[in-house]
Amino acid sequence: MSLKISDLIDDRPEEGVFRVNRAIFTDAAVFEAEMRTLFEGGWIFLGLESQAPGPHDYFTTFAGRVPVLVQRDEAGTLRGFLNSCPHKGARIAQLRQGTARLHVCPYHSWSFDSAGRNKAVKWKAAGCYSQSFDRDDHGLAPLPRFANHRGFLFGSLVADVPPLADYLGEAGKLLDLVADQSDEGLELVPGQVTFTFEANWKLQLENCSDAYHFTSAHPSYIRVLERRQQDMSESVVASVWENSDYWKEDTKGVGGGSFTFAHGHVLNWGVFGVTPAIPLYERAGELAERHGEGKRDWMFNMRNLTIFPNLQVAENASSQLRVIRPLTPGLTEMRTWCIAPKGESAAARRQRIRQYEDFFNPTGMATPDDTISYENCQIGYAATAAPWLQGYARGMTASAAGGNRFADRIDLYPERSVLADSQLCDETLYHSYYRAWAQRMAGAFGA
Amino acid sequence: MSAVLTIREAEELLYREALLIDSGRFAEWLELFTPDAEFWMPAWRDETTPTEDPERELSLIYYKGRRNLEDRVMRLTSGLSTASSPLPRTVHQVTNVLVTSAGGDTGEVSAAFTCHRFDVRMDRTHCFFGRYEYRLVQAGGLWRIARKKILLLNDTVPTVLDITAI
Repeated sequence: MSLKISDLIDDRPEEGVFRVNRAIFTDAAVFEAEMRTLFEGGWIFLGLESQAPGPHDYFTTFAGRVPVLVQRDEAGTLRGFLNSCPHKGARIAQLRQGTARLHVCPYHSWSFDSAGRNKAVKWKAAGCYSQSFDRDDHGLAPLPRFANHRGFLFGSLVADVPPLADYLGEAGKLLDLVADQSDEGLELVPGQVTFTFEANWKLQLENCSDAYHFTSAHPSYIRVLERRQQDMSESVVASVWENSDYWKEDTKGVGGGSFTFAHGHVLNWGVFGVTPAIPLYERAGELAERHGEGKRDWMFNMRNLTIFPNLQVAENASSQLRVIRPLTPGLTEMRTWCIAPKGESAAARRQRIRQYEDFFNPTGMATPDDTISYENCQIGYAATAAPWLQGYARGMTASAAGGNRFADRIDLYPERSVLADSQLCDETLYHSYYRAWAQRMAGAFGA
Repeated sequence: MSAVLTIREAEELLYREALLIDSGRFAEWLELFTPDAEFWMPAWRDETTPTEDPERELSLIYYKGRRNLEDRVMRLTSGLSTASSPLPRTVHQVTNVLVTSAGGDTGEVSAAFTCHRFDVRMDRTHCFFGRYEYRLVQAGGLWRIARKKILLLNDTVPTVLDITAI
């Protein structure tokens, strides 16, 4: 097959054209190139520092298909390693999270300390090894790049990447809006939820940024909220949507918008206001004092952030951290957590958890209506007689270079922005995903 | 109805509940619960430990109050949820029923379950399994569910898992 990028992404800004070929969601060669180029060839989100809080604590994850171990040593230094024994390749750490002064490979008992150094090759002296073997390092292979942005840990399986600060760029400030919600930092609420869907990973990428689907895909959830609002009692949880109408059809005026950044990072947002329905409300005054009202107000806004390609932080119905892990072109795994500022009150934490479960869980009342829609898309992508999708066109004449008055409130300088009333539902923010995608995939395909 | 919960009464209630869900008789299913019933499916903290405190830890589902189950049923049957239209076909098999404590007007019951689910739309079958813990109370001359805890053992969810398949 000789695919060209221009066969996959039709990007002609001067003509007002941006189209995506359905093949990018189904083609095996595209998927293989994505794994090598995006997930195993650049910065990937690995986890939060708080997942390995103390000496010798670790957690495991994947960079694309590659098993990764993130380990804190005795002195507290965090490192990333390939989670694979140099001897026969077996996965070393098998649990998602734990504490290990020493990792002993269960296959032939080679052992490694919490700094990744080899501590023993079993029966080394009797092994009749050559000098060549002795010259090799028998420790765990470190990730070529590993870096920490405010507790968000990233790694790269290749060394030839920009520094993390450059990769995140201005989008790093949006991670700071999460990190700065508590002086003590962030934590993941105990209880991790994993689900899969039979569709391409980029559907998740897009859906997080998709304001257009909310009233179409989630009317049953909206009806539940209405029922609760009519008859509030202690047995139902207050919804953050109740106090906001930015998404309603009859709303007038600017209700939110989108920002896009270099390297494929994207935010869509809506005005929520500083209201008691948001668990952070108990800190509203304190946060304004510490960070200024502009930044405080932004912490309360609805924000769906994607750090390309595998991290999403959604602060809307509650607060969710998602890690996207593509398994095949038509199968994706999502690892999800409730992310929360440390030290919040018991009442705020309870409210955050209840809001989360109803909206975000695959056992809740909203996410399944998204993921089933992804699966319907995946089925529909077989209709290649009409290859070009038309879902990237809303907002084309509203997209402006640079930021706007809302960005200015937190000194944020996006590449492009859209200010929107509730019905605009920008789709040009996806362009940022696919421009970064095309730029990095160009090496795998012809231009 | 006897003064103290018998295993026969417990089995009768659990089997009836399964039948009502599997045959889509949701209004009758809701009637089995007390108005302040707790309905709880914990998440897993790690490979071996489910979450234990719904106030401080995440659950897959946690509700206090039957009206929340009424909301779920409304959503399932509203025709407004893509994921719920059409509803999957299910059969619950409830086994290993034990009355773990009984006295006065309250009884605690444990059981095991498997639920086979056929997702008609996608032509795929899943099996979910785990354990139930119930607190049953006598109300209006009937045993009703004051608490149902569902410990789901295979918790990697294939796309969707609703109250009809647990």
